[in-house]
Amino acid sequence: MTRSPAAKRNLHALWLCAAALLVAVVLTFLPALEFSTVVFTKRSGNTFVGDERYLEARAEAEAAAAAFEGAAIHETVIERVNSKGETTSMVTFDVKESTRMTIWQLLASIGGFSLSSVHTAHAFALCVLLAVVLGALSLRGQLACEHRHLPRSTRVLRTCAAWLGLAAMLCVPLFGMSCNYNFTRQVSLYLTEHAELSGQAVPALERLLYSAAPAGELEALLDGMTMTTLWPLWALLPVLFVFLLGLILLCKGEIKPTLARGGLYAFVIVLCVVILYPFFVMLITAFRSNAETTDMYFLHILPTTWVWSNISDIVARGVPRFLLNSILLSTGATAIALVCGIPAAYAMARMQFRGKKSFLGFVIMSQMFAPVVLLVGITQLMNTLRLNDTILGLMFINAAFNQAFAIWLLRGTFVSISSEMEQAACIDGCNSVSALIRILLPMAAPGIVTTLIFVFINAWNEYTISTVLISTPTNKPITVGITQFSSFNMIEWQYLFASALLATIPVVILFMLIEKHLVSGLTSGGVKG
Amino acid sequence: MKKAVALFLTLLLLLSASSFALAEDITLDVIICQYGPNTSDWFTGTGMDGTSFVKKFEEANPGIKLNLEVVSWNDVYTVVSTRISNSNPPDILNIDVFANYASEGLLMPVTDYCPEELYDDFFPAFMQNSVVDGVVYAVPDLASARALFYNVDMFEEVGIEVPQTWAELEDACQAILDFYGGDVYPFGMDMTTDEGQANFAYFAWGNNGGFVDADDNWAVNSDENVEAIEFVMGMVEKGYTNPNPATQTRYDLQDMFGAGKLAMVIAPNSVPTYLTDKGYTDINYATAGLPHNEGATGSSVGIMDRIMAFKDDSAPDQAARNEAIGKFLTFFYDPVNYVDWVSMEGFLPAVNSAVGALIEADPSFESWLDVLNTSKFYPSHKAEWDQVKLGVINVQQNALTGGDVKTLLDGLQAELTK
Amino acid sequence: MNSILVRHKWEPYLWILPSLLLMAVFVVFPIGIVFKIAFSEVSKSGVVGAFNGLANFRAAVNEPAFGTVMSNTFYWVVSVVGISTLLGFIAAMVLNQSFHGRKLARSILVFPWAAALVIQASIWNYIIKFEYGNLNNILLNLGILRDAVNWRTSYQIEFIWECGVGIFVTIPFVTFCVLSGLQSIDAAYYEAATVDGAGFWKKLSTITVPLVKPSLTVSTVLNIIYVFNSFPIIYTITKGAPANKTDTLVTYLYMLAFYDQKKGQATALSVIGFLILCAAAGLYMTITMRKEDEL
Repeated sequence: MTRSPAAKRNLHALWLCAAALLVAVVLTFLPALEFSTVVFTKRSGNTFVGDERYLEARAEAEAAAAAFEGAAIHETVIERVNSKGETTSMVTFDVKESTRMTIWQLLASIGGFSLSSVHTAHAFALCVLLAVVLGALSLRGQLACEHRHLPRSTRVLRTCAAWLGLAAMLCVPLFGMSCNYNFTRQVSLYLTEHAELSGQAVPALERLLYSAAPAGELEALLDGMTMTTLWPLWALLPVLFVFLLGLILLCKGEIKPTLARGGLYAFVIVLCVVILYPFFVMLITAFRSNAETTDMYFLHILPTTWVWSNISDIVARGVPRFLLNSILLSTGATAIALVCGIPAAYAMARMQFRGKKSFLGFVIMSQMFAPVVLLVGITQLMNTLRLNDTILGLMFINAAFNQAFAIWLLRGTFVSISSEMEQAACIDGCNSVSALIRILLPMAAPGIVTTLIFVFINAWNEYTISTVLISTPTNKPITVGITQFSSFNMIEWQYLFASALLATIPVVILFMLIEKHLVSGLTSGGVKG
Repeated sequence: MKKAVALFLTLLLLLSASSFALAEDITLDVIICQYGPNTSDWFTGTGMDGTSFVKKFEEANPGIKLNLEVVSWNDVYTVVSTRISNSNPPDILNIDVFANYASEGLLMPVTDYCPEELYDDFFPAFMQNSVVDGVVYAVPDLASARALFYNVDMFEEVGIEVPQTWAELEDACQAILDFYGGDVYPFGMDMTTDEGQANFAYFAWGNNGGFVDADDNWAVNSDENVEAIEFVMGMVEKGYTNPNPATQTRYDLQDMFGAGKLAMVIAPNSVPTYLTDKGYTDINYATAGLPHNEGATGSSVGIMDRIMAFKDDSAPDQAARNEAIGKFLTFFYDPVNYVDWVSMEGFLPAVNSAVGALIEADPSFESWLDVLNTSKFYPSHKAEWDQVKLGVINVQQNALTGGDVKTLLDGLQAELTK
Repeated sequence: MNSILVRHKWEPYLWILPSLLLMAVFVVFPIGIVFKIAFSEVSKSGVVGAFNGLANFRAAVNEPAFGTVMSNTFYWVVSVVGISTLLGFIAAMVLNQSFHGRKLARSILVFPWAAALVIQASIWNYIIKFEYGNLNNILLNLGILRDAVNWRTSYQIEFIWECGVGIFVTIPFVTFCVLSGLQSIDAAYYEAATVDGAGFWKKLSTITVPLVKPSLTVSTVLNIIYVFNSFPIIYTITKGAPANKTDTLVTYLYMLAFYDQKKGQATALSVIGFLILCAAAGLYMTITMRKEDEL
């Protein structure tokens, strides 16, 4: 009996799916979760076995243990000889209980209990089931068929099956996470905040773990409860991935392009999440209350109450003025940098002259000292020029420090544009100044925009020189202005981040608007040796 | 193009012209450090009952303009040092060090500008601490006293007493560690560049050691100091302290204390203000004296900052300038303003005239003033003080990463006596 | 050659004059002062005194922390520039593909560039705090962690975090430089290579890398300079603590100048740093630009 290559491949895929599914089913019958529950803890310091404090604590622990059937008391005694040679001792009583459960047991035992981990478990089971059913439906009589000759309905079925397989796979980590979240943190947080609800939740939890647990002990129950996810749960993940590969092989005929595409999206999503994360932190912290910025119990991701007044507080403390100064400073610096940089870049791109290389070397060398180092010289210069404590002085400094960048970028742009038009214009009697302004600059617009942005951002971010140079509060740019929120006595994170938010938003908007220009500006030869 | 250049040049001229000082008025450059969230607002914004210190001063003293800048502690050394390098120091400066400026002849003796009445108002002990070669070069602007803050509820729960000696301190730490199983740090330490010198002082002085010997010569490598710092390192090693003493500043410690994550911390008297401002309301704490080594005498630690005036030989009328500086000081220490300033951030006063009003406002000030009277202060009248300050911080941080305390302190001492 | 006729010999010099003047006054003059201070005696409060030869340099090099700081600087520059170039290159390759949401992804990539370094350093410093940091908060609340993790247990780890933040803020710049290079590559090259049966790696090494190299060279040289001189990240997160073990040259000399009041030594160090940078950037440029006809 001979089979077509397509049939062979499909059969392999089928075997792969079946084997993976079998392993997955086996795994779901192994214990996936462990609830270890310290239902009660009593620590008693400065206590010796048998003394009054000990007996008191022991009685308390026994009373607590009596409420839970089969719970055992673990007693730990820590004895230590202190520096004076006296023995000190501490006794800890833990009332402990632990249970292991498979996913099936979990699903079966708490059908009515509404926690999202259970939803995830249901979703997982449903996805696997549907994927199997759809996959099986699509197989009828189509096994030997090349995938591009498949009827439309079969393809749809198989694609759906593959998506469901993916969903099932993603359910596993979600399940693990939501178990932890619900049991160890969310439930206890939620119930501490809503004591009135415990009456409804208790019966369900009782059914789950301790059929004998009396009502009202919920908090004690939850306080010590930890949940551990065991290896069979995580082993499901690779197994389901193999299952998914089999399904993809079935519906697409080949795996590589699909995986590459999936990898691409995964990479982009991860990248974006990582990049946005600090900005998310900035956003939420900007609206927290002062106390919540240093919340050491990590109660909530989002602010419990959004303190919008943080914004008005920083407005009252001069932030808009700082922003205005920053805008003025950056705009001025950019203008100066371009006015000086464009002619120089033009000469570098279009003219031959002695000392060209030395000039370029000089330009790069001028960047090599950190502004921090040059503070003394700069302030001395500013005193001489009477530009101390003025934004104008800062403009010149920033423009000068960005010359290298401006010249380099602009020269690249100019070089990439053909000089034919200018040469023609020159023959027509047009001088080089008007050739630059009338012909070259409009063509180089994207490159100029890019340069503008670079210089603007660098000036916007400058901190050290402004700190030393500006002493009048109303002349401070934003980077210096926000230092007032970290004083000797207190760091006011919420104000710091609220100002940071105000300072970042305009630039981000500006950037998003010109992002297209940015790349094309660079493309037009901008950053090219 | 030409138009743009012309416009630009005009702009340049205009702006530079505006930066020339206006004739006749005396302008004082003042640098004030940022003590708390309200400092800038109080001096230059609207924090002083809707007006600011500068506005009020200029109204009360026509002919004197204040160019007052509030600088964060992070940047103030940079700003001042750069201005001195450019021979352009501020007229009046508020900072913690002064002896290095004084020893280089940059400061004016206080008697040159301070009115007698005000001079006599300062606590004498504070003034003695500002003497270099027999001349007073700076006046104290405020002070703070340090004490051991401890969480009363935790101490009761664990069943321990407030430690008075180092041995008791270690026992208490161990008990807390055992009891809370790592959820609570027993003792807070700050060895950062912010305030590591304070940590050194708490323990060196608690072992009869210190920065100087009986003859006021540097003695940072005394056996007592070595023992003290080795004790400190032992505390860190045994896990009795917060996990990152080299980067966790006092703010972090105060926050941990407020949140019930830290059982003990040595901190200034402004902590109650901090805790209230920050909303840590349900913490039950008390203060006690700093723990000391068995056989040593305990002493509390006081810290003061200063105001000083720099020489300016280019001033046309020295007498008028001195008078203006005097007026500034008089106005600043006027109880009407000064009490507001000191109580705003929860500090302690440096002048007698403010004491009455402060105690009236908050009776707990009195006990703090007692603490302050028995406190030791940094030897900041010695020119090398700023070097010592960073030196001891460096020694502690080096010791944290495994350096030998004795060798490190010897090294510092050698550098000082070189 | 893509040049135009110059009427007078002095004309080009006229063109570069404004730029030259600007830099001469505002950059070269302060640099001159730095050199003067580096060879002078400087008092502790900052008064500049007489010429004292190489004494400042000797003192700076003999400081116990010098070795640590230099090796830190080396690791800092190499890791930040190296890794951000690699990651930036990968990101650019990905963003050069066409896919849904590419425009959005590109806009997002610009973010770290748009926020001031001081601000970003503060945010990261807040994020990795142990007791109340946001990283612990998020991971705990998502159920990924059970107990808060101390993300900065030792100074080595803190230094790695600082490098990470450095890489984070540098990636966008590299990505956009490479992206611009990638976009200017003619698609015909790839088609030809595909016809010849070249695989992904072959195309990468024979087409992409050589053609992107010029953009990469420039971005790397500028990055070396910027990263070497970068100050806010380390200053905000650890301030070089403990005992200069996380300092790089720039933060170290800042502390030396303004906290330790050893300005002479600090400026001497900055001159040393300048020479190192010149050597490194020069070396890099001669190696990578050798074959190109530049200027």
